[in-house]
Amino acid sequence: MVSERLLDVIMLVEVALLALAVSLFFLHGVWLQLTARRMEKLSKIGRESLARLATRGIVNVEDVEVLKNLPPDVQNITALEISRSLSGTGKERLRFVAQQIGVIDRARALCQQQRWARRLRGARILSRLDVPDPLVLKLLADPHPAVRAQAAEWAAAQPSVEVISAMLELLADPATQARFAVQNALLRMGNVIAGPLSTFLETHSDRAAEAGLRVAESVAEPRFLASALRLSRAENIGVREAAAKLLGAIAGAEPAARLVEMLADGDSHVRAAAASALGRMHYWQAGSQLAERLRDQRWHVRREAGLALRAIGAPGTLLLRRALKGDDRFAADMAQQVLDLPEAAAG
Amino acid sequence: MREIVALFVTQFLVKGQFAVLLYFLAVNGWYLVLLVSSLLELRRHMLLIADESRHLLLSSTLSPTISILAPAYNEEATIETSLRALLALHYPNLEVIVISDGSKDRTVQVLIEKFDLVPVKTIYERNIKTKLVRSLYRSSTYPGLVVVDKENGGKADALNVGLSFARGELVCAMDADTLIEADGLQRMVRPFLYATDVVATGGTIRVVNGSQVKHGRVEKTAVPSHLLAGIQVVEYLRAFLFGRLGWNRLGGNIIISGAFGLFQREAVLQAGGYLHDTVGEDMELVVRLKRLSYERGGPGKIAFVPDPVAWTEVPETTKVLGRQRDRWHRGLADVLWRHRGMLFNPRYGVTGLFVYPYYAFVELLAPVIEAVGLVSLVLGLALGVVDWNFAGLFYLTAYGLGTALTAFTLILEDLSFHRYNTFRDRALLFWWALLENMGYRQLTVYWRLRGLWKFLRGRKEWGTMERKGFRPATAAS
Repeated sequence: MVSERLLDVIMLVEVALLALAVSLFFLHGVWLQLTARRMEKLSKIGRESLARLATRGIVNVEDVEVLKNLPPDVQNITALEISRSLSGTGKERLRFVAQQIGVIDRARALCQQQRWARRLRGARILSRLDVPDPLVLKLLADPHPAVRAQAAEWAAAQPSVEVISAMLELLADPATQARFAVQNALLRMGNVIAGPLSTFLETHSDRAAEAGLRVAESVAEPRFLASALRLSRAENIGVREAAAKLLGAIAGAEPAARLVEMLADGDSHVRAAAASALGRMHYWQAGSQLAERLRDQRWHVRREAGLALRAIGAPGTLLLRRALKGDDRFAADMAQQVLDLPEAAAG
Repeated sequence: MREIVALFVTQFLVKGQFAVLLYFLAVNGWYLVLLVSSLLELRRHMLLIADESRHLLLSSTLSPTISILAPAYNEEATIETSLRALLALHYPNLEVIVISDGSKDRTVQVLIEKFDLVPVKTIYERNIKTKLVRSLYRSSTYPGLVVVDKENGGKADALNVGLSFARGELVCAMDADTLIEADGLQRMVRPFLYATDVVATGGTIRVVNGSQVKHGRVEKTAVPSHLLAGIQVVEYLRAFLFGRLGWNRLGGNIIISGAFGLFQREAVLQAGGYLHDTVGEDMELVVRLKRLSYERGGPGKIAFVPDPVAWTEVPETTKVLGRQRDRWHRGLADVLWRHRGMLFNPRYGVTGLFVYPYYAFVELLAPVIEAVGLVSLVLGLALGVVDWNFAGLFYLTAYGLGTALTAFTLILEDLSFHRYNTFRDRALLFWWALLENMGYRQLTVYWRLRGLWKFLRGRKEWGTMERKGFRPATAAS
């Protein structure tokens, strides 16, 4: 049998572990309560002083002193809290105060730390305060994807040529988190990215180009046309699909002609994207080619072709009605479903 | 006769002691690995989300569209509140699909009246064979709301119908009575933005019993004072914070709660959707997705988000709880049996070599081994081959380890999300952790054994879940 002595030892260890766990559990609870009370009291003082300084525009020395005397954690929390509801001059004043009380210097120091979590924290503070600091620009090349993503978020409010070109290079980032943040930040920068993005698309044709095309689709500037046409012949399916969408967003005779060619692409996703883009352009001249796609082997291509026919108006409706009487039962079924759609859903 | 039995039990105890000891060592050693792993994972997660701002997701046109699939069966009394809470979730690109699974009450009528539904026709691909769809509605006041009225076919069938109608890149499968935190989807979608190989995410589900609920949201959290519900709070904390989070770091989650999970729609469709002929359809889908990712390539990571994202009501009677646990264990047995080819198969990487064996030998067989141990101990005592002191020590040793692990899980929760703040909650949590091993655990052994027995006999019924309903916030004020 297992010896009682061994069981005694195990029991003692268990009792000790249990006692330790219970003590930690309750002591941590007490500590949490005390900290919460203290933070609440100090944050209230900090919030009042910071609100006066940031919103009224008068630098009151007493308020600055009050803020300086608060613990760094409380300074950070209150500054970040109030930053959400400020913009323009209000945010400028907040930055000035944050500089005075040391929040920005501490964040800068954090950005240079060895541990990723500290760099992330530093970048988050500087992003929320919109501090134009070259240190964060460097973090766009940080080894940790979360830090890169945070730096990209910061970049959205700093649309300089240097920042935009660094961001465009990041479109090829293998970590999706950073790519999402980069694409999103580029979109938020607005039309200023059109020039650099156009140059970028001219020189890329890989995954980075696909990400760039998706951003370009939202901006939809005619200067992307040459790149979109070139990339619509790329090897990568995702690139061709994104190029089709961009061509549909740019619209015009040249994009339409290329989109009609793309209806015969070897990949079904590209064919579906081309059909959808032609519908979006209301390009009725492509009616017969779209009607042909109603006979496509892939359901989603038939669906997009049907919807595009419906979108181009009377000629499309005529072709859909003709498909109802055709010999292809799949085309007839899709035509029937599209014709049955209510107006709002078809649009 | 008595001598023969005594001799047999003595021999069994003597020869089996090393096997039992080895099993104990292996299981508890593995638990320790999981505990350390979950501690590291939780620390990493807390560092990642500290001061995080999710407003980008809310305002971005690039945020993936999510289709919530909410199956409903005879939910006339609660459907309006549940649906309003879903429509008010803080997520930008959201579609809510309610699938009335042949409800016999006024579920569909209530929806039509309260949400201004109008019958529509739509184009959808029947990728998966399902029961007949009777009608389809869209709301004229909520553009993102779709209601499907179909013939009864069970939860899996309803979810498959929802999959066909969904337009989102991601689909969220949930139970009609799950309460989702307002920002739950923002938290759940994170892993899909972090990496390209994520196929599904699950989040921490908490027990809502005892808490105050208003307009479909948990207003104030509290540990229930009811024995069964209270112990389940501790069980849920342990299962999510210690089990699933631990496996997350080790790269091997194969369970996502059916109450709330987020999936890549395309991957689920390619896998063939939910299976109808199993009671463990949630786990089966996840294991199949994982398996297919090894066989066909493509995304296969199952990520776990430790944030508390949803709340569920747990049974408060032994009858209903027994049925639930029995069904869970039947489901586990069924899934493991269906995918038995993965066991110790290096083709399936970590899942085949570690995760599957863990679920087979620890989760599935634990009640058998525990029952054998308990019966032998009782027999040994009755026949006088084991003395009372030894039995007491053995019992306390075996269950003491479990209690210590549970206590450390409570610390994990306290160090991270600390949703249970008051002294009363802490005291109750600890009390339920202590009581868990005094009768409750033995009951679950019985229910799980019953589930295994039913599985072996091929029974696949669900049983009914009776719910008491949520406690409104006003009741306590």
